[in-house]
This record gives sequence, C-alpha cells and structure tokens, in this order.
Amino acid sequence: MSVINCNNLSKRYDEIEALKKVVLEVNEGEFFGLLGPNGAGKTTLLKILTCQLKSTEGNAEVFGLDTSNEFTSIKPRISIVPEQESPPSFLTPREVLELVVSIRDIGKKNIDYWLEFFELDSMEGRVCRNLSRGQKQKVMLASAFISETKLMFLDEPFINLDPLVQSKVREWLMEYVKTGGTVFINTHLLENAERLCDRAAIIHKGKIQSLFTLKDLKKQDLTLEELFHEIVK
Amino acid sequence: MNKLILFRMLQEEIRLNTSFASGKGFFSFPILVLISGLLAVLFSDAMIEDMGYKDYLQILHISAIFYGLFAGSLAFFGNEFLERIFGYFGLIIGLSATQPITQRKITLLYFLKEIIFYTLFTMIPALIGAIIGSYYTDINPVHLLIFSFTLYISFCTGISFAYYISSFYRISTSYTVMAASTFLIFYSALFYGNEITGSLDWYLEGTMNLLLLGLAVPIVLSLIATINIKEHNMSGSINLIGYKNRFEEYNQKYSWAKRMSIPGIIAKERIDLERSKTGTKMFFSFLFPLGFLTFMNWFLDKGLPIQIDFNTIFYGVMIGFFGTMLYSWLNSIDTPHFYSTLPIQVSDIIRARLFLFGTITWWIPLIFMTLISYMSNELNLLPIGLIVMVTVGVYIVNYTAMSTGLKTNSALFDAFVFIKFFLISVPPMIAMTILSLAINHKPSTILVALSIICGILSLLSLIFYKRIDLKWNNESFD
Repeated sequence: MSVINCNNLSKRYDEIEALKKVVLEVNEGEFFGLLGPNGAGKTTLLKILTCQLKSTEGNAEVFGLDTSNEFTSIKPRISIVPEQESPPSFLTPREVLELVVSIRDIGKKNIDYWLEFFELDSMEGRVCRNLSRGQKQKVMLASAFISETKLMFLDEPFINLDPLVQSKVREWLMEYVKTGGTVFINTHLLENAERLCDRAAIIHKGKIQSLFTLKDLKKQDLTLEELFHEIVK
Repeated sequence: MNKLILFRMLQEEIRLNTSFASGKGFFSFPILVLISGLLAVLFSDAMIEDMGYKDYLQILHISAIFYGLFAGSLAFFGNEFLERIFGYFGLIIGLSATQPITQRKITLLYFLKEIIFYTLFTMIPALIGAIIGSYYTDINPVHLLIFSFTLYISFCTGISFAYYISSFYRISTSYTVMAASTFLIFYSALFYGNEITGSLDWYLEGTMNLLLLGLAVPIVLSLIATINIKEHNMSGSINLIGYKNRFEEYNQKYSWAKRMSIPGIIAKERIDLERSKTGTKMFFSFLFPLGFLTFMNWFLDKGLPIQIDFNTIFYGVMIGFFGTMLYSWLNSIDTPHFYSTLPIQVSDIIRARLFLFGTITWWIPLIFMTLISYMSNELNLLPIGLIVMVTVGVYIVNYTAMSTGLKTNSALFDAFVFIKFFLISVPPMIAMTILSLAINHKPSTILVALSIICGILSLLSLIFYKRIDLKWNNESFD
C-alpha cells in the first residue's frame, strides 16, 4: 500500500522551476531516499509532502489525503525533521519533548528514554539556544522519534551529528522500518543512503532522473556514488 | 574592492527588505515618503502660524535626529532581531569572520551603506516632495534646499550616534552608558545657549563656526566608533544550567484557555516571554514614545496660543495604540520554525500570543496609565481612560494580528500593509483624541460619543479576531 503519491507535481518560484512533473510513490514500510545535489528540489518536495508548501501543478497525497488541503488530517500522522535545526530557543530539551507530547496528545512515558538516547539528559536546565548545533539536531530528532507516527520525513538528519550518534540513529531507524514504519529521507550523504534505503530516487534540476532499488544497484555492480556522478555530471 | 562591497551591501539591503515585504510594497515606500514631504511643506504655513517659525524648524531638526537614531538602531542592533526571527541570517557584515577583511573596515562600510540607503530611499524622496510642495506655497526653493541640507546633517548626527553607541555596546553595557552620557554632556556644553543643532543655528543666525561644529559632530562620532571596533570582542558568559522545568506547570495552568488556543503553545510562549526577559524590553519600549508625547505636550503648550493639556483619556488612546508594540515584541522572541514540525496552524500561535497580550502583558500599560493619571491629578478620569485604553488596545492588536500574523515588523515594511494599517488605526484615534481633549466642555455628550466609538471598535475587534483563522489557516511558518 502506498503512503506517498506524487502525480505530475510541479513547483515554480517566479522564474525558477524547482520541481518538474515529479511522479513518485512510496510504499508503507519502505525506507525511501531522495538523493540529489544542492538545490535539486529535495527540500521543496519534502515541504510539499509535509503540507508546508503548495504545489503549482499536479498533486501530492500522503495516506491518500491531498497535502494541499488536508493539513489537519495529515500533520498528526507524520513527524518531520527539517533541514535547519531550530528547536525552541528558550525551552530545555525536556520541555521541548513535553511540548511535543502535549500537542500530539501522546503519553509522557518516553521522554526520559529519548533524553537518554540522545544524551540530552545531562542538559537538564539548559535552554536550547545555548546548545551546540549537533545537540540542537538531537533535540529535533528526539521530537520526531517521540511522536510515534507511522511516517517520518527527515531532511538531512545526519548533519552535525557525531559518528556515534549517527550510528545509533541509523540503527533505530532501521528497527523503526522493520516494525512497519515508513521513512522518507532527503540526503546527499550517499554512504548513509546506501546503508539505509530500500529504494531511492535521484533528483536533479527538479526532475526525478532515476528511481531504483538498492538491491538492483548492487546486482548491477554499481555503487550509489557512481550512479550519482553519472546522473548529476 | 571597497566600492564593490558597498555596492553589494546596498543590493543585500534591498533584497532583505523586499524579502520582508513584496517588491511593489517596498518600492512604493519612497512614494509615501515623497507624499509626506509634499504635505509637510503644504501645511508648513499653518504649522508655523501655530507654533512659531523657530520652534517649528527646531522640531523638524529634533525629528531628523530621532529618525537617524531610529535608522541606526535598526541597523546596528537589528542583527539579534533578525537571527531570532529567521534563525541564522548571513549578511555581508559577517564576512570578516571568514575573509581577510577587518571588522573595523566592514563595519565602516556597513555604516556608509546605511547612510546611502536611507538617503536614497527616504531623504531624497522627501526632498523631492518638499520641492514639489514649494511650487504651491511661498517657500523659496533655494531656502528649502539649504534647510534640507541642515536637516540632513541632523539625520547624520542621529545615525552616527547609533553607530558610536553600538561600538561601545560590543564591549559592555556599562561602557555604553558611559559613552552615551559623555557625548550628551559634551554636546550640551558645545551648543549651550545656541540652537539645538549647529546647522540650525547657522541657518537662522548665519554663524559659520557652529555649522562647522555641527558638521564635525557626525564625523567625530563615526571616527570614534570606527576606531573603537576591535577584531575580538569580550563576550558575556552563557547561562548554561539553572532553568527550572516550567512547561508542565504552565500547561496545566492554561488548560482552561483551550477554547482560545492550545494550552501547550500558550505555556511555551509564556516561558519564552519570561526567559528572554522581553517583559523588561516591552516596559522600556513604552518609555520612548510616552516621553515623546510628554515632550509634544510641553511643546504645544509652549508654542500654541491656546492651552492644550493631554489628559488621561488621551493617554489611554495612545497607550492602547502602543499595544501593537507589545504584540510585535511577542512576535520577535523566537523563530517559529519549530512549529512547522507539529500538527498546529499559524492561527494557533497568533491566538496564543493574543492570549498572552491580554493576560500577561497588561501590567505594562496599566502601570503607565496609573502613573500618568496620578501625576496629572486625574485619578477620577482613570476608569474611563482604562476602558478607552483596553478598547483601543484590543482593536489595534487584533487588527495587527489579523493583518500581519507572526511577522508584524517585517509586514509593516510593505507600503500596502502599512497604508491599510494607517487607515484602520488613525481615524478612530483622531476621533478619540479630539473627544478626549474636549471632555471638560461637554462631559456627558463626550462620554456618550466615546461609548459609541468604543462599541464600534469592540465589534470590529471581534470581526478581526474571527478573520484570523480565515486568513492564517494553512499558511506556512516560513
């Protein structure tokens, strides 16, 4: 069953065509990667799928609901880690998680677990504006992971994370997908995509240039980096 | 290279402003300024007749200094504001961190850019408007040009004073206070017994020495500021530990307000307000306009042949209007980007901030109103003044929230938004001001008229409030 559907999706900013007739389908329980160079249209597509931006043409559906007008039905069912780490400046990490569970109306039982998972428990009493960029990114990830949604959108989630935390996050995400969750990840870190994704697409100049499974790629004895270079050159 | 950096900084400034407002809105602003210049000249005869020639010119000079000060404050103290609203905001002025250019040089170029920008976008349009206006009056265009030159020096004094202060602010607050006090004492001693600025004295009395002194002031100020900028600045310590967890407490406390907004958001916004110490900033931001009003009161008393006293009801109107500032402050505490990850809408945040405006920040206007009525021996007018203040405040803040959403400051840069705001806010304020000034003549009639206006404003407030959802639902937090 598909959870994400894009039908001839286009987005134009004045003269710039950020997305050109994107056709895409992501299935439930899939780890899907959207890869591409800077400015390829990855974040624009993610913003449309997460109801933050409206398309110019075509439509996008998440859980069969139109992202342009079903905001209230879609948003509670998805979690997002945006490109820019921007947790509330004047809240402590614990308070941020309390805010998230309060708004999403879910139990508080996991707050301690996630603070510990991201080693944020030692940050008690410290507001987010005084955290490092990596620590802020951890707060953003914890806010998404605690949300207990079935679909997760991650925009460059590994940026600023140290290798140990990256590895922990990767393991958790793989477990999440195994238990039925779906991940849509935007990244240009090909190594992470290669380790995590079942299927991926390479987007360049607003167009999906290639859509493939990582297994098929391996069968063809091709690395993701080689394919990426071939397409983006 | 300097010319290129300066040019790029100007481009950056224009792009920054057009990103706040629409391009059309931004480029229409000089037209508004031109019209203001035209009107100022057309009505100058009437103003001179009322106030007297010298006093009128003096107030124009004071306004030019304050305008320069305002522009300079935005430029040199606006970075923190931009970062709060937009998150990281990279400007050319930050280049010295990564490129082989000194902070001193890039800050001086930034200062020059500010002067050029405000000259091109406000001073020149105002001058053109004034020259057009002079065609319809008896004012000699040559005299007008010379006077405009003296005004320009006052503007430069204001903006260079902001530059001077900012260079000390980089070091410490106590240095800032000392530097400001030293300059004010020095300036007062320099022009003691003369007009408020050297250039005005020259214009009125022909004293060339004072013109040169007046010209020297902004040059010396900017020179001191430039020399004062060092490559490494002292930075205050970061408050690492110590905040008590407050979220749950406030979340519970505001559970009764769930019909207005989401309690969790109100709790978050309340914590922001406390920890950012914005309440103190709000309090002090009331002092400046109220000080200006008190000055105007004194000035009109001095200049006008008839006695006009701004009473408590008048201050109620004004303080109510300043509610816009409170709402604007609430919008500038933190970036709203995090909210885009949650299942909430822009209108939820707007309503949470309106809730805080009504329940948490009310003490600021109340303190000022009580003080003013006590000092004017008008405690009997305080209840009416408070009703007027609340009505005007709720009206203007609801309109501001409905029309500008979460970006009040930047939205008002758009000439179209600004004109609408002006048309919505000024007519009722003028009506209420006239009524308040006439309260002693026919109290019962005036009270009835005030009640009617308050009723209409309350009704409009309700309409504006209802329209918030309509306008801001489905809008993004970007």
